[in-house]
Amino acid sequence: MIGNDVIDIQQSRKESNWQRKGYIEKLFTLKEQLLIANSLDPESMVWILWSMKEAAYKVYNRKTKVREYIPKRLECFIESQNHDFISGKVICSDNIYHTKTTLLKDEIHTIAVSVLDDLNHVKEIEKKSIFKDRNNIPYFVSLENRFHDVSVSHHGRFEKVITINIQKQESNSLTKVY
Amino acid sequence: MNKEELIAKLKVIIKPYTTNTEAYDNLTENTDFINDLSINSANLVDIVLDIEEAFDVVIDNTDMERMLDVKTAVEIIETKLAEK
Repeated sequence: MIGNDVIDIQQSRKESNWQRKGYIEKLFTLKEQLLIANSLDPESMVWILWSMKEAAYKVYNRKTKVREYIPKRLECFIESQNHDFISGKVICSDNIYHTKTTLLKDEIHTIAVSVLDDLNHVKEIEKKSIFKDRNNIPYFVSLENRFHDVSVSHHGRFEKVITINIQKQESNSLTKVY
Repeated sequence: MNKEELIAKLKVIIKPYTTNTEAYDNLTENTDFINDLSINSANLVDIVLDIEEAFDVVIDNTDMERMLDVKTAVEIIETKLAEK
């Protein structure tokens, strides 16, 4: 299962004041607050962690169908980081979500998956033939009328629609059937 | 403060974060902050903080987790005000 979240930093500056009293404390665990405080660029760290939480929540919501506002229960761990990419994981009770965050100018984009290997099979698609079920969970409907997991994220100037490579999904479902 | 007054006060708080003005104008107890008002989830915490300031209450994590629609927000504020 997949989830993704894109953030337009310029849009965030218009919409949010992360330095507001109480803001960080309500959204981030103590460990995450330390990561932010010790970062050379606290603003980016706030939105990196937030996009990891949002992307992971989308996987969690797709699986559980539960809607709740639980940023502090989605704890982020950064495993490796360079100038353009961050690999990490988000843990929510017994669930582990693997994340990959891409950093571009003013753009932070995180993809979260429940199966680590799926990170190698993510692809961006056009926003068309998207169907939402009654839980507001989106699916991509292929020409053969098959439903595939899809995740849509839009913020400011950026929009990302991602899915797991269809061949990969179909071989998964075949494995389940037989 | 009766429920109508409470909703009116809440409505003022959520206005700056709302992008769907039609849903905002037709706001009812069943209005969902994210699905109906298209409020960015990063701004839900602002609504929680604004409620804390405006009503002089403290909203803990467990309450914040449920605060996704007008009805639940009103319930939580009413409970907090009654505890004062």
